Amino acid sequence: MKKEIKICLPFYKLSYSLFFVCVLSVIRGVAFTDEIGLALEPMMALLAAVFCADTYVQEIASKRSEVERLYPLKNRIFSIYQRIGLQEIYLLLLAAAGYGLFFMIQRPVPLFQEEPYGWGLFGSYMAAVVVTLVFWGMLSHTISCLFQTMWAGIGGCLVLWVFTNSKAGDEILGKWNVFSYAFRDIEDRGDFGWLWGKLVCAALCLVMAGMLPKIIRKRG
Amino acid sequence: MSIKINDLTVTFKNGVTAIKHANLEIPQGIFGLLGENGAGKTTLMRVLTTLLPPTEGTVDLDGIMYYEGNYEKIQKKIGYLPQEIELYPGLTIEECLEYMGALAGVPKDLCKKRIAEYLEMTSLSEHRKKKMRQLSGGMKRRVGLVQALLNEPEFLIVDEPTTGLDPEERIRIRNLLADFSEKRTVLFSTHVVEDLTATCNRLAVMKKGEFLYAGGMRELLDEARGHVWVCEAGDDEQARELERKYHVSSKQYTKDGIRLRIICENKPDIPCASCEVSLEDAYIYLMNRKNYSKRIK
Repeated sequence: MKKEIKICLPFYKLSYSLFFVCVLSVIRGVAFTDEIGLALEPMMALLAAVFCADTYVQEIASKRSEVERLYPLKNRIFSIYQRIGLQEIYLLLLAAAGYGLFFMIQRPVPLFQEEPYGWGLFGSYMAAVVVTLVFWGMLSHTISCLFQTMWAGIGGCLVLWVFTNSKAGDEILGKWNVFSYAFRDIEDRGDFGWLWGKLVCAALCLVMAGMLPKIIRKRG
Repeated sequence: MSIKINDLTVTFKNGVTAIKHANLEIPQGIFGLLGENGAGKTTLMRVLTTLLPPTEGTVDLDGIMYYEGNYEKIQKKIGYLPQEIELYPGLTIEECLEYMGALAGVPKDLCKKRIAEYLEMTSLSEHRKKKMRQLSGGMKRRVGLVQALLNEPEFLIVDEPTTGLDPEERIRIRNLLADFSEKRTVLFSTHVVEDLTATCNRLAVMKKGEFLYAGGMRELLDEARGHVWVCEAGDDEQARELERKYHVSSKQYTKDGIRLRIICENKPDIPCASCEVSLEDAYIYLMNRKNYSKRIK
């Protein structure tokens, strides 16, 4: 596990991701606590896509995959799942820290006075962002493995991100959009329609996780 | 452990044929694979490591035929060091080998024991806490060799392990390969002729996807015997004229003029004397022989 952490969470990745969240919490203005999740979720998705793109393809770029192809597939797959898991845990902690930073730096006020600290909002943000992080991380990783380069993963995700995070994406996909949480009506606390979008993400994650052994066997 | 290659052809998707109807038998011990860049050595090694499926022909590793159903069985018997590999730069030598050993499925205790043993053999024990990114090129190759040996392979494939190394490191790598070939088959690919002179008794020479020669080192030298000549050129002009006319394997400025080693089918029409053949001369002779007939022994 310690070696896996050193491999998938090198210093440069930790640095740029921390920097990204810090800068975001300074430059992205929010007036209400209800807006923090909206501001953070799409950006964390983008970060996850970049962060996880090289999870496996770093083995291809360094030619280690040529040696590792001689090793049992189940060991290699387990190592990839482990790396994805570790990266997602880190990103989730970062997402939580980012929420706190927004709170501290921007000092937003609650939209509804009855819940001054917004723990419920934080809870729903964490639930949404964990699915978002896993989905974008897995998507980027899967595309990278298919095309054997991390740039394909980043580029592919960027195209999808631009579409799903746009007004057109919201109008076309509605509650099934992967960013349904960010597009929800913040004035309607009882609206949980965004869960459908997250359900789509979770289902796609399962499909991608199931495809992984086949992709690695063929393209790894 | 022996490997038999029968009528092997490898054609890539873009239509380029990297290996053309090759036949070869690699016996136990160290076996050299020599050829210019682009001759097909790496492609052959990728086939032997199951990374690349043959387009035509068969490969047989100790009676196990190469096809997808057998790949798992074959992969367990193989250790591979590719030409360019960057092992985990953020890990120490020890961590890197432990990690790769675990991926290879070697039990933890056994893996640690083997790592200690091989690090000792490769004189890396004292550096085991150094990060991979801090190592010299030669040390990285030695770690690569240890990595290839962790699962105690019966067939070790090393692709140009001495390229870019200083003479001392090259000798060290060559000697290690010779040591490792005691109980296993080692296929040692290189385009540095002297590496093979120092380590192998048997070798194959590849050119444009074909084997020009496969057999003993001595027989290869015999083939070139009588075709290597030494002559003196009076000045640069004459030397250049001879270089244009013949294959010159070495050129030395001496106090008497310029001494040239000429490789030629028949005696050149200048004053010259026949001389002892080196593997380099034999290689040049083989690569440039007109209407060569393949010698597979």
